[in-house]
Amino acid sequence: MKPPRFEYLRPDSVGAAVALLNEHGEGARILAGGQSLIPMMNFRIAQPSHLIDITRVPGLDAITDEGNAITIGAAVRQSTVEYSPVVKDRCPLLVEALKWVAHEPIRHRGTVCGSLAHADPHSELAATSLALNATFTVVGASGERQVPAVDFFIGPFTTVIESGEMLSSVSFPVVPAGSGYAIDEFSRTHGNFAIAGGVSVIQLGADGKVASATLSMFGMASRAFRAFAAEERLIGSMPTAEAIAEAADLALVDVDCSADMHGSEEYRAHLGRVYAGRVLTSAVARAQGGSK
Amino acid sequence: MGLGGMNKLNWIGRSLPRVEDKKFLMGRGGYIDDMDLHGMLHVAVLRSPFAHAIIKGMDTSAAEALPGVVAVITGKQAAELCDWMPDFNPEPNLHKWRVLADEKVRYVGEGVAVVVAESRYIAEDGRDLIEVDYEPLAPVPSARKAQEAGAALLHDGMESNVAHDSTLAFGDVDGEFERAAHIVREHVYWGRTAAQPMETAGSVASYNPGNGMLTIHANSVALTNFSFLVAGTLKIDSNKLDLVPMPAGGSFGSKFWATRATVTAGMCSKFLGRPVKYVEDRLDHALSCDHHGSEREYDIEMAISADGEFRALRLVCTDDYGAYFQFGLGTHGNAMSQVIGPYDIKAISYRAVGVLTNKCQQGAYRGFGSEVHNFALERLVDKAAIELGVDALELRRKNFITPDKFPHKIPGGNVYDSGNYEAVLQEALKDARLDYWRAEQAKAREEGRYVGIGIVTQQERSVYAANEWWFFRGAEGVSSVPESVSLHVDALGKVSVTMYSTAFWGNSPETVAAQVLGEELGVNPDEVSFAYQGTNKGLPGSGPGGSRFTVMITGAVQGASAKIRDKAIKIAAHMLEVAEGDLEYVNGGVQVKGDPSQRKSLAEIAIMPRLFKHQLPDDITSGFDADMVYDHPYTTLPTADRSDLGIFYPMMAHATHIAVVEVDVETGGVKFLDYIAVHDCGTVVNPRSLDGQVIGGLAQGVGQALYEEFVYDDEGQIQSSSWLDYLIPSAMEIPEVRLGHHETPSPFTPYGMKGGGEGGRMHAPAAIASAVDDALKPLGATRATHLPLTPERIISMVNGH
Amino acid sequence: MSNIDKHEITLNINGNSTSLTVEGRTLLHDTLRRAGMVSVHAGCEHGVCGACTVRINGQSARSCITLAVQVDGDEITTVESLAKGEELNIIQEAFWRRHGLQCGFCTPGMLMRVTEFLEENPDPTRDEAREAIASNLCRCTGYQHIIDSVIEAAARLRGEEWSDDAGIPARELGDATEVSN
Repeated sequence: MKPPRFEYLRPDSVGAAVALLNEHGEGARILAGGQSLIPMMNFRIAQPSHLIDITRVPGLDAITDEGNAITIGAAVRQSTVEYSPVVKDRCPLLVEALKWVAHEPIRHRGTVCGSLAHADPHSELAATSLALNATFTVVGASGERQVPAVDFFIGPFTTVIESGEMLSSVSFPVVPAGSGYAIDEFSRTHGNFAIAGGVSVIQLGADGKVASATLSMFGMASRAFRAFAAEERLIGSMPTAEAIAEAADLALVDVDCSADMHGSEEYRAHLGRVYAGRVLTSAVARAQGGSK
Repeated sequence: MGLGGMNKLNWIGRSLPRVEDKKFLMGRGGYIDDMDLHGMLHVAVLRSPFAHAIIKGMDTSAAEALPGVVAVITGKQAAELCDWMPDFNPEPNLHKWRVLADEKVRYVGEGVAVVVAESRYIAEDGRDLIEVDYEPLAPVPSARKAQEAGAALLHDGMESNVAHDSTLAFGDVDGEFERAAHIVREHVYWGRTAAQPMETAGSVASYNPGNGMLTIHANSVALTNFSFLVAGTLKIDSNKLDLVPMPAGGSFGSKFWATRATVTAGMCSKFLGRPVKYVEDRLDHALSCDHHGSEREYDIEMAISADGEFRALRLVCTDDYGAYFQFGLGTHGNAMSQVIGPYDIKAISYRAVGVLTNKCQQGAYRGFGSEVHNFALERLVDKAAIELGVDALELRRKNFITPDKFPHKIPGGNVYDSGNYEAVLQEALKDARLDYWRAEQAKAREEGRYVGIGIVTQQERSVYAANEWWFFRGAEGVSSVPESVSLHVDALGKVSVTMYSTAFWGNSPETVAAQVLGEELGVNPDEVSFAYQGTNKGLPGSGPGGSRFTVMITGAVQGASAKIRDKAIKIAAHMLEVAEGDLEYVNGGVQVKGDPSQRKSLAEIAIMPRLFKHQLPDDITSGFDADMVYDHPYTTLPTADRSDLGIFYPMMAHATHIAVVEVDVETGGVKFLDYIAVHDCGTVVNPRSLDGQVIGGLAQGVGQALYEEFVYDDEGQIQSSSWLDYLIPSAMEIPEVRLGHHETPSPFTPYGMKGGGEGGRMHAPAAIASAVDDALKPLGATRATHLPLTPERIISMVNGH
Repeated sequence: MSNIDKHEITLNINGNSTSLTVEGRTLLHDTLRRAGMVSVHAGCEHGVCGACTVRINGQSARSCITLAVQVDGDEITTVESLAKGEELNIIQEAFWRRHGLQCGFCTPGMLMRVTEFLEENPDPTRDEAREAIASNLCRCTGYQHIIDSVIEAAARLRGEEWSDDAGIPARELGDATEVSN
């Protein structure tokens, strides 16, 4: 299981990286940690003609506190984010989400942006970016554009990043004080891909009713997705067990669940509702407990 | 003298750190992939994407033109370079298998061509350039479909896809069922898994056209006695082939008589006259290793008397074998060795149906078919307890073969050497805190959580003999299964041991031999050195499969040590000028009986036959070496009328396993709350080493029960070819095991030892299934009879499906 | 596509600066093995099993899904760095005495992971040790003796004596006739 031949390139700026992408066309791919791409190359499922290693581009390895958001550059390793005091303080949900991503030795090499650009349907980080309304900065030859998370993921391993473009950073809004959040998932073995999982962020009003709610799901369909119907059911309501159960039942409305040897569509839909319920319950409890 | 366990043992029974380990801890294990020969080439295998297809043509020109590619060998060419692969069946020509498919592929991943190149990278580049023209045929994806009318035939020479269908019956089975007060029936499915050691199979072959010698280093069992079969496949004189064993990075059956990597490398080296390495990568090993484990369905039933006595067992087992039939029904012969479990069942009928399908062929995996039978039998016993309305433990106890009945002849002919099943069970129950867990279970149910306890009592046959191969055939078969060692005592009295066959399989052959030498020659186990010898220069060896190595290597070391002691006494008699009869070998030296002051150490003695021929009596030859070929201590041939198939697996270990699990009935996930196991495999050589074998086997049992499966879909496409989908349990999936040992010595072996290497995997699946059933009982769930118990399957059990 | 994608890189392998020529596609584990570090084992070559685990600038990583060119200039540590001559280090010796290995194939990766873990957590619980080693698969031991070894090593690194459960090497027992069984 050896990767096919390609040309390895190591630009020293985002501009140079984009120029190389455009020069080499469809076969060129960005290489960050490579923790998803290189296994696919070892299987020869992926056969890029050029790999453009952006991990040494100055500035891309920065975690920046923007006040209302934390911006993570394309070369920042997952474990760097996981152990970043500022992330832990301002966006602790991201730290919790990272604990679910593979194993620590993988997180030492893998990057947050690389995982997001890879857009695996099982990705905890993709779902977290949806639940937090993250913003993606995509750079191309004609400049950069900002893409909200809800528009970023299109399908399995597919995002709005076009040929000749790269993801240069992602901004996660800070988790508002007083809100509750939760991530949970079911995978068959520790650190393996989730069959189903959910992420939720809940804010309660002074009256105890749900002021805002996000719920995103992963592992069960062609991409991570927001469960808007479930969110709408909760917003403005008292977060009772009944309300949460009803919301969880709405989590997979209009979703075509995927199937593989680990679970049929029906089983995934069932698990999805279970995990929607579990993360909503946990997020509400945390919001009610006034935890960060 | 530490003979026969008569005296106090100094080294046997101690948890010594293993003598094998330091090199592994330093990363200097010397595995096959660490071997590098000058000018060595590397192989990549092109594999079929189809389950069943005719190979109409192949274009290798682009691959051959790639710089760095030295040769491409297609299946057609390989069929000229090599004969069929070894197949232990009466008519192997009916379902002959080759190192590469020549005319037809029969499963996804079967090799169709090899590329030999200067590096593995280039070999894989070349592989991508080969064009194959396939004509797909209707796939035969399961044993059931293979037996349907009109099913495509895997092998044209066969009348159907059923390679074997026969019944072995002993005792009055029909009468017992007619008279039975209760008949309990169960249907059981055991999913296809495989050993999947961390290190794949691999070989380095080096052919010298000058003398015609083909030397193949391999991490697969090099059975000295059977190397001529590999020579036949490679079309080489049997005395010109040397299969040299290398340490195996785990085996569990997978590197047992595995010949594919060996023949692949050997064929390429002989063809090119250069050294060639072929080490499977994980994809090679998952798709097309020498064999997966069993995939079976059972219809099993028991005749039970009014007072709960097990009278007769009857079963039909359908084996979804895969595309070739190398091991035939050996895995069922194996199960016949312990067919009645620990219960005094009087009559049995065992029908085995071997069906060929478009899958990788099956063969050895820790238990070799006995583990599947254990699962089916214990599931049946649990069901019997439910249907009879009696306590499952009491039902087992009532039917245990009692200690006074050993040695116990079982239906079929095998003998159980010794055992005390009640004592093992008692010991397990003593540790299990069942009262605590029953209380926890009740409390959990009130909270809507589901905790279950599963208890099984099972056999673990040990010390493999060859008879199982011919159980299901009329003929008499091979009956030799020796193991050998050579001891060398150098001029300074230092002891070296040479072993044959692939002794190091991840087991502890050196530690066992060293501890036994501590008893037999009084040497310090850490001061013994070890070497392994190839088949060409080798004494007979049958390898470590079937939990045989501890007993067999001990017998060989013991026999060789006796020869060394005899010679030492002869020499010492001359040195001390004392009659031989007045001397004894004690603590690493020879002394006058009762007078340690008149003594010569082994070092003082050893220099004499090495350097001082003329200072010794004429009849003492130079050298201080001893070979010992140790035959299996207790096997017999079948009777002429085959009403008794003979004794072949009599060293019968036993265990009680108790699993405590919690089932999440929303997700179907299972987690362990506790696990207790007590084993009895006779005298224990190194308790901690044995613990490791039991717990490691148990972990594979957990994988079998809950996680692992090679799934093929209706088109014969494999769904779990990578370790992302074939789920090897991590530390988070395996319970902490509270383990105990009971020691009932075998009357037939050195020191009373039995084997214990396969036990964990033979017992854990039934214990886990039983615990899951117990957990789900209040929900009226269906029974856990279909492995693996995936979360989805558990949810459907909860839903009554 | 260029056929010759060669790169001159320098790796600091176990303290030795090593200049190597590699293709862009050359995997780190192959590079290290070619440089003589045969402790780096290929188990799955798709990042699942951890047998190839080495430390890159002190952090455990899968060398089978890392390109050698990616770590140009970095410090790589393998099991070859642990023992001093014939003398095992404390973690290796704990694995030896507590039977934390059987076939030995996962062992080097496991040792590199455990070394890192014990630097971060010198006094772990069994559960913490269990989770830490869950990144690395072992097919032989069922993990229990590995966890025993981790706990034993942690205690020794903290200056404690060998526990009663640690096996005593035969050589240290000398003539075992004097030791009760």
